[in-house]
Amino acid sequence: MLNNSFFYLFTLSLFKNAKRYISITLLSTVVIFLLSSVLYISGSIKYSLQKQLNLEPDFIVQKRVGTRLVPLDDAIADKIVDIYGISEVTKRVYGSYFFDKEHSAQIVGIDLLDEQASKAFQNILRKEEIKSFLSSESMIVGEGVFNYLKSHFYPKAYNFFTPGGKLKKVKIFKVLDSKSALFSANLIIMPQDLAKEIVGLKENQVTDIALNVPNVDEQSNIRSKLESLFFSARVYSKKQMQEAYENLYNYKGGLFLVLYLVVIATLALILYLRYTLANSLEKKEVAIFRALGWSIKDVITLKSLESISIVAFSFLLGTLLGYIYVFMLGSPLLKNIFLGRAYEASITLIPHIDWLTLTTIFILYATTFLSAVLIPVWRVAVTEPKEALG
Amino acid sequence: MNSLFLNNQVIVYIFSETVLALLTLIIFVMALKFIRYWDFNSFSNFQLKLEKEANLVMTIATFLFTLKLLLLIYFVYTIDNLSLIVPGAMCGAGVISANDYGMTLLFVKIIVIFGLLLFLVVNHYDLLGKNYPLFRFKSWVIVTAALLIFGEFYLDISYFTNIDTSVPVSCCSALFGNLEGANPLPFGLDIKMLLVLFFTLYFGAVVALYLESRLLSTLLLALFGVIAYYSVVYFFGTYVYELPTHKCPFCMLQKEYNYIGYLIWGSLFFGLYFGFIWVIMSLRSYKLERIKLASILLLTLFVAINSFYVANYYLHNGVLLENIK
Repeated sequence: MLNNSFFYLFTLSLFKNAKRYISITLLSTVVIFLLSSVLYISGSIKYSLQKQLNLEPDFIVQKRVGTRLVPLDDAIADKIVDIYGISEVTKRVYGSYFFDKEHSAQIVGIDLLDEQASKAFQNILRKEEIKSFLSSESMIVGEGVFNYLKSHFYPKAYNFFTPGGKLKKVKIFKVLDSKSALFSANLIIMPQDLAKEIVGLKENQVTDIALNVPNVDEQSNIRSKLESLFFSARVYSKKQMQEAYENLYNYKGGLFLVLYLVVIATLALILYLRYTLANSLEKKEVAIFRALGWSIKDVITLKSLESISIVAFSFLLGTLLGYIYVFMLGSPLLKNIFLGRAYEASITLIPHIDWLTLTTIFILYATTFLSAVLIPVWRVAVTEPKEALG
Repeated sequence: MNSLFLNNQVIVYIFSETVLALLTLIIFVMALKFIRYWDFNSFSNFQLKLEKEANLVMTIATFLFTLKLLLLIYFVYTIDNLSLIVPGAMCGAGVISANDYGMTLLFVKIIVIFGLLLFLVVNHYDLLGKNYPLFRFKSWVIVTAALLIFGEFYLDISYFTNIDTSVPVSCCSALFGNLEGANPLPFGLDIKMLLVLFFTLYFGAVVALYLESRLLSTLLLALFGVIAYYSVVYFFGTYVYELPTHKCPFCMLQKEYNYIGYLIWGSLFFGLYFGFIWVIMSLRSYKLERIKLASILLLTLFVAINSFYVANYYLHNGVLLENIK
């Protein structure tokens, strides 16, 4: 049956009856557009986080007393270096700074003598810029911070309050590229000594210590060595951080999807009703096919192909519109579900779509659509010609 | 709440399986009616109604087969992705072994696909006959497949609700690799004997199919299925990964290995499916040459891909990964 003339008839009837399918196609496209937009946003954020996490160190050693993060003595770093199998030990300084009750920024201190940090820094500052960056007390700020400061009349420098209540004037040296905004929107980078002063650390103190363990098999052994290094030491691994992020965005995306299932169920109901109430013209059409000698199976094949075409067309259109909305128009409104904070409104999402996201959308939609129309399509197909034409 | 249930793929998977289970319920009830009341010689309205319903069963079964196949791949891909959330897991092997339901579920899924494929073939030849000669048989096939699908659905729910994300699971090298000297192979085989059996059973199965010996084909295909699984995990897989200690049936499904696992396992399962379908249909005096040929070709493809990896490694490096004594 599936020969050229069958396909010719199929395409002919599809175009001739285009009007009949417009409402269904539009509705389906909107439903897919909504789902794909949300999944694109969460997928893109996850992708950026994953990319960032790959650059993160294998382990972070912190000191926690109660629930508080307590500064570490930087001499511990020397003890860590002595453990076999560890490489690239970095002392890190960072902390939050509150401009007012709603707006805060993350201050990160960079030690330019540290090989690893200065390597990473090359992407941000050119070599010739580094000298002038260090010569005056200056900082590099993320786009979100910069916008905040500018709107509060600090376009060139800002007066920080140290925890002791003293004022510290720091120049804005550069604004970070908005492409990396997911991480850098509320970031302030400054030399480590300056950062220590603003976040309130003493000269020999650091926030935490990061390190790498190149041999994966040694990681669990080294972890227990690190944990027994000093009392109340907390060791965090990269995998733990990955899990935490994964769970966070699964939670937001998953909660949406669970609610979205209600929409999908409604769509199924609408489709079921639409196909059950097939108009008399459609029934007559089928009756003519049957009278011409088509079997029920042939009619079902034709009708199923029609449904599959609608599924394919609205899937392509919906996912394409979703792409345009999220990555070209910057997904106004929807983005705030995932990123609530004030600064993060300036974030540009990196275009990233994987096969799994597209397959997920397709399976959810195709299963619902085709399951809903199977029985009505069969009902139309088994209508007796005499009954429909009479 | 189990955090897995907020994973996008798990939600979509469970939702789709639920919809499919509902559709299965419809055809299950209809198939039971067919078995009880089908009478082709009757001209009653009821018989006419049953004949119309047979078309629905056929349509739904085709739909089920397509989606179940897609969902099987999706399921494997999903559990592979879940290894990010489940502590200790490096690939799907760890996640599937997170509880006792996982492996059984995977096995039932593979059998369900076989059941539905068998139905499609039987249905095709049933419709070619003038008086539905295989109608009762195909109704039994669909009833059995439906029961398996219900079992699969129960296992789906049990599996996902019983994964504890706070307890670390084993990774594939702990499950299949470092067994501290214990021999994981069946019947006390060593690698050399395993390979001898692998190729012997392959040739035996192909010859038995060619000579159309039903009993021998069934026996050799079943044995080949078991031995092929062990050979891929404990020998051929190590050449895919190019690492003698990496023994895992799941990692080869990942991007790092060009998704070759889908082709390897796909060609094996469909080769076996077609072989068994040929045997079953020949019991009903249908000699399906094309099905037989498809089985032989797919099994040959399976053996060829596996051998290619070993040959390719040997040609590039001049040695094998392990000495085969």
